[in-house]
Amino acid sequence: MTPLDHLLLLSALTVVVMLLIGNRQAAGWTATVLYAAQGVALLLMSGLGYGTTAAIESAVTFQVLEQALHWRFDALSWFFALITIGAALLSSWFSAGEWAQAYRRRGGSLRIFHSALALNVFSMLVLLASGDLLSLFIGWELVSWASFLIMALGGATANRYALRYLSYAFAGAMAVLGGLALVYSLVGSFQFQALKAAVPSMDSASLWLLFALFGAGFGVKMALLPFHLWQAKAYAETPGPGAAFLGAISSRMGLFAIAIVLVQLIGIARLVDMPVPFSFLSARDLLSWIAVFTIILPTFTALRQHDARRLLAWHGIGQGGYMLLGLLIADDLGSAGGLMHVFNHATYQAMLFMSVVAVIHRTGTSDLNQLGGLVARMPLSFVAMLIGIIGLAGLPPMNGFVSKWLVYRSLILDGSPLLFLGAVIGTLGTILSVYKLIHNTFLGQLRLEHEHIEEAPLSMILPMMILSAVVFITGYFPGLVLDWVAAAQTSIGLPPLAHHLGGVATEKGGLDMIWIVSILLAGFAVGTLVFFSGNRHKRVHQLDNYAGGHFLTAETRYQYSDNFYPGLMHLIGPWYRKSFRWFERGLVSVVDTVSLAMQGLYRPVHPSFYLLVVVVSALSWAVTQ
Amino acid sequence: MNNLVLLVALPLITAFLLPVINRVSAFAGRWSGPLILLITSVLGISLWSQLGDSAVAVELGGFRPPLGITLYADQMAILFAVAASLGTLLLWPNGGADPVRQSTLALILAASGSGLALSGDLFNIYVFYELVAVVSYGLIAGKATSGSYAATMRYLVVSSFGAAMALTGIALVYQATGTLNLAQLAQLAPTQLNNIQGLAAFVLMLIGFGVKAELFPVNTWVPEVYATAPTRISALLAGVVSKLALLIIVRLLVLVFHQPEALTVMLVLGIMGVVSGELAAWRARDFKRMLAFSSIGQLGIMFIAFSIPGKAGVFAGLAVALHHLVVKPALFLLAERWSGSISKLAGAAKTSPLAAGLFVLLALSLIGVPPLPGFWAKLLVLVELSQQAQALYYLGAFVILAGAALEANYLFRVASRFYLTEKGQTAPATHRMPELATASLLCAALAGSVLMLTPLAEQIEDIASQAADAAHYIQTVNPETLP
Repeated sequence: MTPLDHLLLLSALTVVVMLLIGNRQAAGWTATVLYAAQGVALLLMSGLGYGTTAAIESAVTFQVLEQALHWRFDALSWFFALITIGAALLSSWFSAGEWAQAYRRRGGSLRIFHSALALNVFSMLVLLASGDLLSLFIGWELVSWASFLIMALGGATANRYALRYLSYAFAGAMAVLGGLALVYSLVGSFQFQALKAAVPSMDSASLWLLFALFGAGFGVKMALLPFHLWQAKAYAETPGPGAAFLGAISSRMGLFAIAIVLVQLIGIARLVDMPVPFSFLSARDLLSWIAVFTIILPTFTALRQHDARRLLAWHGIGQGGYMLLGLLIADDLGSAGGLMHVFNHATYQAMLFMSVVAVIHRTGTSDLNQLGGLVARMPLSFVAMLIGIIGLAGLPPMNGFVSKWLVYRSLILDGSPLLFLGAVIGTLGTILSVYKLIHNTFLGQLRLEHEHIEEAPLSMILPMMILSAVVFITGYFPGLVLDWVAAAQTSIGLPPLAHHLGGVATEKGGLDMIWIVSILLAGFAVGTLVFFSGNRHKRVHQLDNYAGGHFLTAETRYQYSDNFYPGLMHLIGPWYRKSFRWFERGLVSVVDTVSLAMQGLYRPVHPSFYLLVVVVSALSWAVTQ
Repeated sequence: MNNLVLLVALPLITAFLLPVINRVSAFAGRWSGPLILLITSVLGISLWSQLGDSAVAVELGGFRPPLGITLYADQMAILFAVAASLGTLLLWPNGGADPVRQSTLALILAASGSGLALSGDLFNIYVFYELVAVVSYGLIAGKATSGSYAATMRYLVVSSFGAAMALTGIALVYQATGTLNLAQLAQLAPTQLNNIQGLAAFVLMLIGFGVKAELFPVNTWVPEVYATAPTRISALLAGVVSKLALLIIVRLLVLVFHQPEALTVMLVLGIMGVVSGELAAWRARDFKRMLAFSSIGQLGIMFIAFSIPGKAGVFAGLAVALHHLVVKPALFLLAERWSGSISKLAGAAKTSPLAAGLFVLLALSLIGVPPLPGFWAKLLVLVELSQQAQALYYLGAFVILAGAALEANYLFRVASRFYLTEKGQTAPATHRMPELATASLLCAALAGSVLMLTPLAEQIEDIASQAADAAHYIQTVNPETLP
């Protein structure tokens, strides 16, 4: 038994325990403790995370159909596993208290919820531990079905979106399986090393096919364009803490698989060598542009959402584009930015979802047109959301700034100004829509029906506060995360980023967050000092307010939420064509029509006719021969 | 090894005596059928364990082939003979309008199914095939409703056309070679059947025997029959009988017809089967019809797999066939109480949670989700397909993958409906104990096979390499004729 086996066993045990006692009052807390234990088991392997120990093999191996299946953990797996377990720990903590009681009152089964969450964690760990293409596929399928399970828990609407997810995910998995079969026919083995060794001698056509199959298959999970339609709604309808967990890490499994197969095994250098026919682009450029459009389009779709959860989930898709973009540049800065963004995004996305779920828990809605002014009632949730959106928008002093800076910097150095421009347009959309999120939820005037709302319970607040601290501290000292990122870079064969506690110091440019944040904080301190010591000031009630020259009374409350950004929408509104929806529906219609024709083949009146045709054609064939 | 003939004779004799036995004692009449099948199953399994590496040929009455009747028993033949007995035992038709008649027919089905698997010459194969067909008409019409009569009538038309075509094919073979003994045919085939006449004979037999094996385009009877026949009979036809018909085609391919065109024809028809079956199932709104269409798709996968030349094809096809042999009957058993429109199944998990859980397990295995056996079978087929040079095999792989994606969609559309409750809808009835118990047994076998995947795969590979060895067949039946 190696430490990896301990971790996986502990994770499997969590699933079993949740199946057994998931309905009890204390189940959520038990799960939290068990996730913490998994965290400890992971930390015992922290040598991996810092790149000081070699990869840890699992003692479990299988020999099926002459294929050796084995599992192992390296720095990249450790990094992703840390995020997974951390997200599970805090989501489970978040769910353990009042949320669980409310969920049960609504008729949900806590046993299934907790088991599904535990199963998700277990399957992700299995995926992260995969040591060959076959175990990668097994982990991939497990993750897909575990996600389906947790998505389908939320009733009829959730079920519909979960099924849509399943259609996408399983089609993607079949693409991966096709890729696997192709690898076997070309290489004769499913081992990573064998594929890596065979890549240089592969011809361009099969490599393109491999690239397309794996890219599309893994891209579905990441919700890369044009496979992005499933994700936002499916995540949004997942029961609250589950949405926080999925939003934090689930679709990053696609990035993990891409990092393994496209970056580590096939290699970015090989992708650059593959020109797209009739164009000046390479395969890497193609994927980079897909990443950029995955940033822009979903982010601007998020801008139009009225539901806070959907808004966040659409952003999750967009942020995945940054990670892929950074990874594809494959230099030390860019790939570090991409990988670090996985961690950063997980922290603030989980926190944002938690904050929204806390609001839902108190108000019963996440409709942005029916909220507002909650800052007076739920100040801590407000703080969490504020820190989260600063991170999401990629502004200092939060951690999202560091990773985005790395990606931007390497895009400029890489000589890709258009990609950089696309990424910046995406960030613009992010800033606009996160402002809409926090404004419509917490700012403005409190609605009458929310007068008696209280702050979310402590069981929800504490995880959010912990995440806030993480988001801030890893923004202040990004070196903490960059240690792991550099080890992960090394393990997939990329140049590691030279860094220190405060940031990076390479000849390509330096960033010292300790200085930046300290100066920022000092500036705030001076401003606060001046504000409180020098000026006369008076405390204004939330409702003591006016807009457009009109005083607003407690009867007519000011709530500016519907038709947000009318000027902007006047400009860009016609651009929203729903082309992808149209395409998806068109595809379904085509399949439906063809299957109608196929069903027509089996109409009960036909058999004798077919037989006649078959007999006549067989006879005429035999006669003419 | 002379017990081999008992596998066929015992159920056959019991079937004819059953009306008499029933006259004497209703109890004995009720139980003698299952008892006999139990005996033949145990017998078959014990024969299997005696068999070892070399196959056995038995000449009935001591007449040497080509004059005498030959039974040929290699591992594959005994496996399917046991499957016929055991399958009929597990899916024993209980209830119905006339239990004695149903029992008699079921016994004859088991006997002729075993005979089909064991026969060593084309004439006997044809006789047993016809017997299976005739018996299944009676079984399908067992519900005695107008719908089932109509379905039986159509099935009868298709099936007799198929039989006629198979007979034509056999006649062509006889005309070219002057024998119907498979071992002799295997010796003569390279010189006398390796021509267009041989190919025509194969195509005629493929289509003829393909009627039972749900081969496109002679499978048009499938959805209607499976939807209207008694559930257990549908399960038996889809699970066991289709595989027996498939077995004959595989034997013919291995022993007699070595033309690459023969494989291509089968591959193309298999692809069409997957495409039409899965797409039609995607659109089906009736639970049993959906299962029927899905079964057409699965049989299409088997045809694709068996069209891979050599041992690899037999291995892959056998793996898929055995998987389907377990899964499809279990699914049909669950459909017993869930027949009719899928939209009426909402909330079924509330009333029968076990059945819903089993359905999910079976569905997962059917679409090939690791680590369930269905995945390994599918992987095997894909790996073998990807190693073929012909582009058509790649098309086959693509079609299998796309079909699985559709399958996931329509099976889980049903599964998720089970777990949703809609207001004002009455949940479907709970399952009867016998169906549920049998389905659970099959599911347990499925789940258990996950644990012993490696020995199982080795075993199937053994069976396949024995079955794919034409020289061994000739050697076993006619020791002195081989140089």
